[in-house]
Amino acid sequence: MKSILTAAAVALGLAQPLAAQDFPTGPVTIIVPYSPSGNTDVFTRHLAPYLEEKWGQPIVIDNRPGGGSMVGTAIVAQAEPDGHTLLVTTSAFVTAPAIQTSLPFDSRDAFVPVANVGHVSYVLVTNGDSGFDTLEDFIAQSKDAPKFAATAGLGTTTHFAIEKFIADSGADVDVVHFKGGGPAVVSILSKETDIYGSSISSAGENLKTGKVKALAVLGNERIDALPDVPSTGELGFPDLEIKQWVGMFAPAGTDPAIVAKINADVNEVLQTPEFIATVTPLDWTLFQSTPEGFAQQIDEELTKWKALAVSQGISK
Amino acid sequence: MDFFSNIGLGFSVALSLTNIFYCFLGALLGTLVGVIPGLGVLAAISMLFPLTFHLEPTTALIMLAGIWYGTTYGGSTASILLNLPGTPANAVTCLDGYPMAKQGRGGVALFMTTVASFFGASFGIILLTLFTPVIAEYALQFGSAEYFALMLMGLVAASTISEGSAIKGLAMVVLGIIIGLVGMDTQSATIRYSFGILGLLEGVSLIALAMGVFGVAEIIMSVRRVKTADIDPESLKLKAIKPSRDEVRRSWFPMLRGASMGSFFGTLPGTGPSIAAFLSYAIEKRISRTPERFGKGAIEGIMAPEAANNAADQTAFIPTLSLGVPGSATMALMLGVLMIHGVAPGPNLISSQPELFWGLIMSFWVGNLILLLLNIPLIGVWVRMLTIPYHILFPAVLAFICIGAFTSGFSPLNVWMVFAFGVLGYLMRVFRFPGAPLLLGFVLGPLMEEHFRRAMVLSRGDFMTFFERPISATIMALTGLVLIWGVVSAERSRKRQLLSEGEVDHTPEATDRPT
Repeated sequence: MKSILTAAAVALGLAQPLAAQDFPTGPVTIIVPYSPSGNTDVFTRHLAPYLEEKWGQPIVIDNRPGGGSMVGTAIVAQAEPDGHTLLVTTSAFVTAPAIQTSLPFDSRDAFVPVANVGHVSYVLVTNGDSGFDTLEDFIAQSKDAPKFAATAGLGTTTHFAIEKFIADSGADVDVVHFKGGGPAVVSILSKETDIYGSSISSAGENLKTGKVKALAVLGNERIDALPDVPSTGELGFPDLEIKQWVGMFAPAGTDPAIVAKINADVNEVLQTPEFIATVTPLDWTLFQSTPEGFAQQIDEELTKWKALAVSQGISK
Repeated sequence: MDFFSNIGLGFSVALSLTNIFYCFLGALLGTLVGVIPGLGVLAAISMLFPLTFHLEPTTALIMLAGIWYGTTYGGSTASILLNLPGTPANAVTCLDGYPMAKQGRGGVALFMTTVASFFGASFGIILLTLFTPVIAEYALQFGSAEYFALMLMGLVAASTISEGSAIKGLAMVVLGIIIGLVGMDTQSATIRYSFGILGLLEGVSLIALAMGVFGVAEIIMSVRRVKTADIDPESLKLKAIKPSRDEVRRSWFPMLRGASMGSFFGTLPGTGPSIAAFLSYAIEKRISRTPERFGKGAIEGIMAPEAANNAADQTAFIPTLSLGVPGSATMALMLGVLMIHGVAPGPNLISSQPELFWGLIMSFWVGNLILLLLNIPLIGVWVRMLTIPYHILFPAVLAFICIGAFTSGFSPLNVWMVFAFGVLGYLMRVFRFPGAPLLLGFVLGPLMEEHFRRAMVLSRGDFMTFFERPISATIMALTGLVLIWGVVSAERSRKRQLLSEGEVDHTPEATDRPT
């Protein structure tokens, strides 16, 4: 099986150095620092069978939730850099370190970015009966009576999205942290909080039944799932281009040839029609990335979110 | 109409072949675990917990729930035959069950407790079916302040109503909270009590704690108090299980009262089957016109508590499923199953996962029927199981625990933690510190902290939020009452104990005493 794959790779002009050709020599563990059946976990579980087929080795998906994804991330930071332990995580990889200052690893030095696989968009939502129908209403009303914003947890992308929104709009909003997107949506339903930057899948049925309404899509473009909802770019906030991306990482020191091979294999899967058909209904926008390009993105975002954390006074 | 379609949906899930199989498996395992003295439901569920990773959440819950109420059925067997409670909830059944067995009416006692168990469980399931949606509808009014108040009440109730010393109960709650704080704080990302061990960043594993404090400690204790079984086989033949007409007549009202009390205590977080059983026994004895018969083989003394603990087993699912608040350590494990499968327990559960919710509840009927049919003919088999020598049984169980701990996080750290918690649990048993409040503190403490902080943000730092919001204020007032009641009843029982010094004490703590 492996030799057939190798032959195919050579035929396709993807010949790799010897070490990369041999990869993987055993089962590959993908650590997902989130609970099973979350967005990231589901995506990884859809991805894994395709990679198993390419690699001829089983892939074990190991969910290690906790610490705003940093627990599972730390495990990969200390793993053997041979490509057999990989991390699939979200943009929390760049936002959480802006707040967690005592992490046992350095996000820049401990990892090699492998591939940025795609993103989901965020929508600013509020209760269906709330007293505001537009984002302008919300901002104006918050200045008379301060509002509450929910997040899916400290240091998550939903947290930074709201902080960035507050910084750019001048809205008077206090941030309340919940444990995950589910409880955050419940707090919108119960009117305990007033606004939440939710993924479409988190808001789910409630968005359809009108119990929750969307005020704006975070970003400069509208999204297909909600064609009538304005983007924050249209509303005059050009810098709110915030997506929750998902990316793959290997421990620092992994052979660049192996990184290149994994990147190429992942990119190939992302172009498979069946794979696209499976994940598109889950509101994913898929990417093709290079390890270098992804590394540069990581570097920029680490700097950007750290600066926001400092200016918003949320970094310790 | 909606109601019947829900019931139909529930049965369609519960009656699938897979679910019937796992329900049967759970009930069977539960009965088995219940029969083995010293092996509790928490240990059993903790051990089987890793298995549920590979099952559908509904199926996993159906199996675990089967173990949960199955142990209470099986637990009475050892209580009656050997005077060793199979589970804490069955401890009070020893008081009149064992005398009945000594009088050669063990078969009758086993038969009647099975009937009482089924009656209590049915009562609980009916309440669960009718009222959980109502409770869930009001659950959206539960904000962080209310959850904090509710959890505070649970902790206070657990420490004061639980058997034994209130001070020790409270101490265990606090220890539980401290252990629960280990790891990375979700509100400020501060790392607490991890001693630089990476594996502790995600906190102490509930499974390791439960298996250590309960499973391992129970085994060490049991090894110290092994007695050879002394069972009269004549009293176990099928013809010996028929109750007299008088016994049937005297059973009805205790059964009904027990089921009502059990249902009530089941819904309160922090109480549960053991407390329900003890209190319903106490009430039966108090209202009986012939209290002197109690402790000498009174049928009321086994019917009321056995109906109560089984009813409480079922209604314990109301707060767990509708509010996401675990009423007991075992229920916390059930919530864990949900969370592992990405199902958020809480007010949305019934509407977002109707097939899970109704399927689970309807599986209770299946499970209880299975238990009824299983227990009566198999009484003789259970008894023979009790004769497996401990030197074979316990090493096997210990090996099982190690495997379970390792697989729960694929880390050897968990095995060491089980070992450490086993030592802690043993010391706790020796010095008579109850384990349940420790577990409850461990589970509820961090949640309390989380809700407290969130309530503080939402009230902009005003402590009065807990007393100004009507539901929260009501719960706070109840908490005050529970606290006062706990102090008063502890004082009263201390006096009573002084008076009855010298009498045989059959509380579970007493059976822990090396003999």
